[in-house]
Amino acid sequence: MNKLILTLFLCFPFIGNSSEISLELVNPTLKEVISKIEDKSEFKFAYGDDIKTESKISGKFSFQNKNVISVLAEFSKRSPFTFSLFGNNIAIVADTLYDDRKIKQSIIQQIINGTVINENGIPLPSVTVQEKGTNNGTLTDFDGNFTLEVSSSESTLVFSYIGMLPVERTVGGSTTINVQLQEDAQSLDEVVITALGIAREKKALAYSVSEVKGNEFTKSRETNVANALTGKIAGVNATGLATGPGGSSRVIIRGNGSLSGNNQPLYVVNGMPIDNSIPGGGSSTGGQGINVDRGDGIAGINPDDIESISVLKGGAAAALYGSRAANGVILVTTKSGTAQKGIGVQISSNITFDTPSMFPDYQYEYGAGANGRKPLNAAEAIEWGRLSFGAPMDGTMVVQFDGIERPYSPVYVKDNIKNFYRTGTNLVNTVALTGGSEAINYRLSLSNLDSKSVVPNSSFNRKTANLSVNGNLGKKLSVEAVVQYNLEDANNRPGTGYADYNAAWGTHLVSNTVDVRNMAPGYYEDGRELLWNPVNIANNPYWVVNKYQNSDTKNRFIGQMNIQYDILENFNIRGSVSRDFYNFEYEGIVPSYTAFRPEGSYESLKADVSETNLMLTANYNTKFFEDFSLSVLVGGNQQKNENNSTAINGAQFTIPEFYSYTNLATLTTSPRNLTTGINSLFGSADFGYKGLAYLTVTGRQDWFSTLSPESNSIFYPSIGGSFLLSQAVQLPTTINYVKFRGSWAQVGGGAPDPYLINQTYSIVQGGHNGRPVQELSSNLVTNPNLRPLTSTTYEVGVDVQLLDNRLGMDLTFYDRTTTDDIVQTDISTASGYNSALLNVGELTNKGVELLLKGSPIRTTDFSWNSSYNVAYNKSEIIALAGDLNTIQVGSGIGGGSIQNVVGRPYGTIWGYKKATNNNGETIFDPNSGYELRSEVMELGEGVAPLIMGFTNEFIYKNLSLNILLDGKFGNDIYSNLHQYSHRFGLTKETLLGRENGLPLSGVDLQGNPYERVVPVEELDTYYDNEKRYTDLFVTDGSFIKLRQVVLSYNLPVNDFNFVKLQSASISLVGRNLAILLKHTDLFDPESSYTSGNAQGLEAFGVPRTRSYGIDISVNF
Amino acid sequence: MIKNIFKMMYLVAGVFAAITVSSCDDGLEELNRDPDAYSEVIPEYLFTKAQLSAVDISYFGTAALTIGGSMQQLATYKEVPAAGDKYFNDAYSKGYFTGGYSAINEIEEVIRAVSEDPEDVNKLSAARIWRAYIFHHLTDLYGDVPYTEAGRGGSDGIYTPKYDEQSFIYNDMLNELEEAINAFDPTKGTFGTADLLYDGNVDQWKKFAYSLMLRLGMRLTEIDEGSAQEWVEKAIAGGVIVEDEANAYIEYVDGSQVTSRNPIARGLMNGDYIDPQSVENVEGGKLAKTFIDHLKETGDPRLNVISVVWVETGTGVFVADTTTAIQKGMPNAEFNNRPADFPTYSEPNPETILAYDSPLFVMTNAEVNLLLAEADIRGWYGGDAQVHYEEAVRAGMKLWSLYGSAGNISDQRIQTYLAENPFNTGGSFEEKMDQIQTQKWVSLFIVDQYEIFANWRRTGYPDLVPVNYPGNLTGGKIPTRFVLPDSEGTINAANFQEAVDRQGEGNTFLSRVWWDRD
Repeated sequence: MNKLILTLFLCFPFIGNSSEISLELVNPTLKEVISKIEDKSEFKFAYGDDIKTESKISGKFSFQNKNVISVLAEFSKRSPFTFSLFGNNIAIVADTLYDDRKIKQSIIQQIINGTVINENGIPLPSVTVQEKGTNNGTLTDFDGNFTLEVSSSESTLVFSYIGMLPVERTVGGSTTINVQLQEDAQSLDEVVITALGIAREKKALAYSVSEVKGNEFTKSRETNVANALTGKIAGVNATGLATGPGGSSRVIIRGNGSLSGNNQPLYVVNGMPIDNSIPGGGSSTGGQGINVDRGDGIAGINPDDIESISVLKGGAAAALYGSRAANGVILVTTKSGTAQKGIGVQISSNITFDTPSMFPDYQYEYGAGANGRKPLNAAEAIEWGRLSFGAPMDGTMVVQFDGIERPYSPVYVKDNIKNFYRTGTNLVNTVALTGGSEAINYRLSLSNLDSKSVVPNSSFNRKTANLSVNGNLGKKLSVEAVVQYNLEDANNRPGTGYADYNAAWGTHLVSNTVDVRNMAPGYYEDGRELLWNPVNIANNPYWVVNKYQNSDTKNRFIGQMNIQYDILENFNIRGSVSRDFYNFEYEGIVPSYTAFRPEGSYESLKADVSETNLMLTANYNTKFFEDFSLSVLVGGNQQKNENNSTAINGAQFTIPEFYSYTNLATLTTSPRNLTTGINSLFGSADFGYKGLAYLTVTGRQDWFSTLSPESNSIFYPSIGGSFLLSQAVQLPTTINYVKFRGSWAQVGGGAPDPYLINQTYSIVQGGHNGRPVQELSSNLVTNPNLRPLTSTTYEVGVDVQLLDNRLGMDLTFYDRTTTDDIVQTDISTASGYNSALLNVGELTNKGVELLLKGSPIRTTDFSWNSSYNVAYNKSEIIALAGDLNTIQVGSGIGGGSIQNVVGRPYGTIWGYKKATNNNGETIFDPNSGYELRSEVMELGEGVAPLIMGFTNEFIYKNLSLNILLDGKFGNDIYSNLHQYSHRFGLTKETLLGRENGLPLSGVDLQGNPYERVVPVEELDTYYDNEKRYTDLFVTDGSFIKLRQVVLSYNLPVNDFNFVKLQSASISLVGRNLAILLKHTDLFDPESSYTSGNAQGLEAFGVPRTRSYGIDISVNF
Repeated sequence: MIKNIFKMMYLVAGVFAAITVSSCDDGLEELNRDPDAYSEVIPEYLFTKAQLSAVDISYFGTAALTIGGSMQQLATYKEVPAAGDKYFNDAYSKGYFTGGYSAINEIEEVIRAVSEDPEDVNKLSAARIWRAYIFHHLTDLYGDVPYTEAGRGGSDGIYTPKYDEQSFIYNDMLNELEEAINAFDPTKGTFGTADLLYDGNVDQWKKFAYSLMLRLGMRLTEIDEGSAQEWVEKAIAGGVIVEDEANAYIEYVDGSQVTSRNPIARGLMNGDYIDPQSVENVEGGKLAKTFIDHLKETGDPRLNVISVVWVETGTGVFVADTTTAIQKGMPNAEFNNRPADFPTYSEPNPETILAYDSPLFVMTNAEVNLLLAEADIRGWYGGDAQVHYEEAVRAGMKLWSLYGSAGNISDQRIQTYLAENPFNTGGSFEEKMDQIQTQKWVSLFIVDQYEIFANWRRTGYPDLVPVNYPGNLTGGKIPTRFVLPDSEGTINAANFQEAVDRQGEGNTFLSRVWWDRD
């Protein structure tokens, strides 16, 4: 601390507080300085009893339109005081080392110029630049420039800035030293964005908030930025789906809080919610046909536009956002312009390549065929196209499905996958322009993302334009506007789930002596789909990628406007309007001559979807009794969501291969017009005491359109406090900071969808032979008595910083209980319905989150920063309604279901085993000769209770290396790929019995010994029957992955004097490089194919890829 | 300072006022009205739907693959669709359950809507009869099923209905039929043209109901002969369908709406026969050897109406040929590969069975006359078994003319058939039973597969030789009960388990329903 001449604490946003003043003073007292500056600016001074305001500051001071920061710097130089800027407040601190720094350096030898910028290339004003070991120093000006005379070329300059890691540079021979400062993640006075976009000091928060800076998303990219949260934040379980580029994500914060409803967080951009829906709904686990993932709302945000992402995990953090925040809130703050000279230009390019990285481990001892023999002719080869129950591979020539003889030798599935899929590419180019004055500033970014999937002929393009404008219209009125326009185009999104539109089905299941390339191009000369196996629905993968068609276009517009009027210095009102609107058009075609649907079929969807929010808030800040501060906010919000769509479905193209819906023999047009609204009033009050204790209370009342008027409203409060032990008492010097926090919060929620209170009756299109026909609109039991659900969270935690802030710990315990959950539960279909909507039961999530951060090495040239987060969440279904003991969340293809069962964790996997008696002997059914199937039972947990992430960053001079590992533990996966490859004799387990038949032994239904040998000829049937025993295909899903490696080099831009570069960096990036631990031999443990609640199921997703590439970023 | 605080409070109040006036719950209820739907039932329109739903329940998996295969009328070379062909896959038999109760739910809604006003009594009776019709399929296929508590998820919040014993269900269905028939009042209104069977004709509804009573009563011959006789006599006395004009059937069109197309044709076409080239049926299905051989052996003229072989008359040009000599059925459970001669096996006729605009029969003169013939040989009815048998044959052949001209069978061919296959008046009871029930097996092919399956289980005719495919689920026995869906075992576990335990053999193909004795 003794080296600091002037410490400026930055408060967000910085720009609004830097005003210019003019002053003339001769030998003023400190008191005079204070009153002059308070008169001429909006700044207020604060100081303790130890500050002698009558002290004189000797010298003649004359400033014309000088920045207050610079003015204060001058006073500081000649007085024993330092000034700390904090929002509109300036704290005065006595500088005990004033006497030392009065000693002037006698010899000035060298004049150094330079510019200081931040990670994004933005110039930093007010950075302290000091000659090491002396009191000689200065501050950077408004454009980040500085000039300093130093004593010798041996001198070292120290650049320091609050919230940034200090940088040291040896002068050497240079006269120009430009420096880029990096964020110091351990900054004590970090300011984070909280609910409604309010920036608050982290120390005042009663709950855990985690922030990730935008640059963590830009170098090593995910097309869907939500996927990039993986491993970065304790308690945030982010999973990208196995659906290729442009697909959705599933993000779960602190466990699943709703038994069957939405469990994903609310996404908020710049304080206003956005729509995160997937047009036409997401891919389902049991879906057939063109079951594709069309991407969620967050996928439309360009990582380059992100300033930071804050994750509000607890109910208290989210209380002000209302019902949809019960699952937490992800706050995205986009970049805005800064006042500067000229126009700042940032250009970044990122190209990455994807290759399949996971290959099933099959057997290659017995080849294509059945009954222990090779196929004799093409018809038999087709018949056994998926079976590898043939003879031992011997390299002889054997006929295949196309009638051609090829060696009866291994064709590894790895090669089939590599040969069928291509190298995917992702190319992102972004140009951003920033600029402005203090009155108005702007940032405009244009970005283009071009993504080619590893699946042939599948591509995704996203163009985004983002314009952010901030302005101060006079002294009291300020405006902010952000508009974003997205144009997203997807072509041939890969099908997921069941066989008929999933190319992975064939590539992974073809017999182990058959090369998938021989199925190309997927059709015979006459245009019909080329057959390679007897089940038509199990497609030819080349037919799928060459002939099936689906395309969608999304035009999205997000507009946000805020107007703030400062009625008084400490009292303002703010109005916000935001609208997230998209227009979506989708068309999918099952082509003519498809083996399973020779006449083809057609589907399309046109949708207009919007979320509109109107919000009005009033803010009041004050201080009383000297030590107390109070901030009050009240407001109201009106939210309206509209989803109007028309779906056209039909079949049978009358004229083959003419793909217009005018050419269909059958045609149904289905309108859907969904509207929901929530009206809200809310308020909060924050009390502070001496900067060491804080208390926050909030309350909110919501009215939901989706509930009956009698019970459509709920009030929910929250209270939380924090206490800074390190401020209150003297702690050992090794302990820098200790903060305790605790909170209790409730969040209420309504039914998610409209029209679920009362059953309605729709008209069957076309009637029947001229007669009108009415049908029930849904097979869901509607419920007029629904009332709002409540989610209650307790949270306690402690933040500790040790050893000169080089080691930090953040520990949180929480307990989240959902009561009266609004649940759509499957019911016995004998009830006449498939599901019912109920306020049922209770669900808890209890957990602990730990974040450890350290800087084991921090020297001039080399530093090592490390961060480890781990979270354990234990969920339990406490109660369901009435006689229901289980809620079915979803079911996998081929069996296996995900259930929520009383007394068990969220999302357990249920299915069957081979029945055994008390002695553990297998029971056989002598009628069939097969093992008796047990009753349905729990087989595993679908959701990982333990997740962790481990980041290490090594910085050596201009080089940095960032490595992220992450892992999930304790979950299981029911694998459909495993089931099918087992049935078809591809797995190693099916090698048993190949030579002399498979001996079975156990007991019969009466308990008598039972034995039989499955002859080789019946092995295929025997192993096929094993599909019924679900547990054979349930595997531990735990994993550790090398998620990300980024090697960056910051170019020494000063050496390129011919262009006015501010900064430039080049990075080598890699994502999903290796799986360091897994228990699955056949598939990537992260192979979920739905963003819905049915997690723990795998079924031939798009192969998981390893991606690597280059990121280049240049600032002018 | 004080002034400022007042100012602030004033403004805050203003903000609140502004929001409160325009929000809270004003207008929210309006948002929650679906602009594309009615908020109440129109019983006529929903009754039409209930009629359509009841006959459109996973036809391909249940009626075709499971029953058609095990009754040896259809065959497939593949394993997965070999539910009935090889007793190999019980999954297809699970599908009827959910669809059946969806139809129950609709008819329950109709019944609730027409129960209030005595003027609606004829609608109520028709709906009650239709409910019995839907339920009898469910219980015949699955045995003990939810009955008293079924279809009450919406009205009474019963989400896990209990399973009633089939004996109770049968008794109640028969009583329901009787009560509904007796409640008809010709002076009151009807469903009119919303009724797809009879346009609201009360007399015809009575005949239909008595015919259903006859069918259900006769079902009890093995388990409770006394009751069987009582109900059969009651039904015959009431007046059953004995003329073609009283046939209960629904008409369909080959329109652009899927739901207006015949669900049987739809199921068979989509499931197997959509590509009219016979080289690669989707599920490898053909007509079965047992069935085709029987038709050929008896010189049944229905062979040429039902069955075709696709003959290639030029490269890629196939013509459906109905010539008797080339008709050939595929043996059940014979293959697990596509046989080389696959194209030469017979398939359903695209002009009749596979035509989207073909009629769908609910109850026919042919079946009722066969029931009368059986009643007669049992001595429960003073008619003439031979007359009824011959009338059944004639009606069974004539009904195909409703499929269009390709279904026309001349009177002369009918006479020839009867001459070659006369009623065995001198035969034993079992021989007569064999002839009557085998005739039902032929007469109801496609027309009513569910009744064929129930009738075979009750009478054992036709005398089918089971197959024994390696790895089949039954040890070479023809399935005797459909398998309840797995979801019942998880969601409605206690009630499900009780019913399964009561019926024995677990939830398998080998379990038997109450009225089916060895």
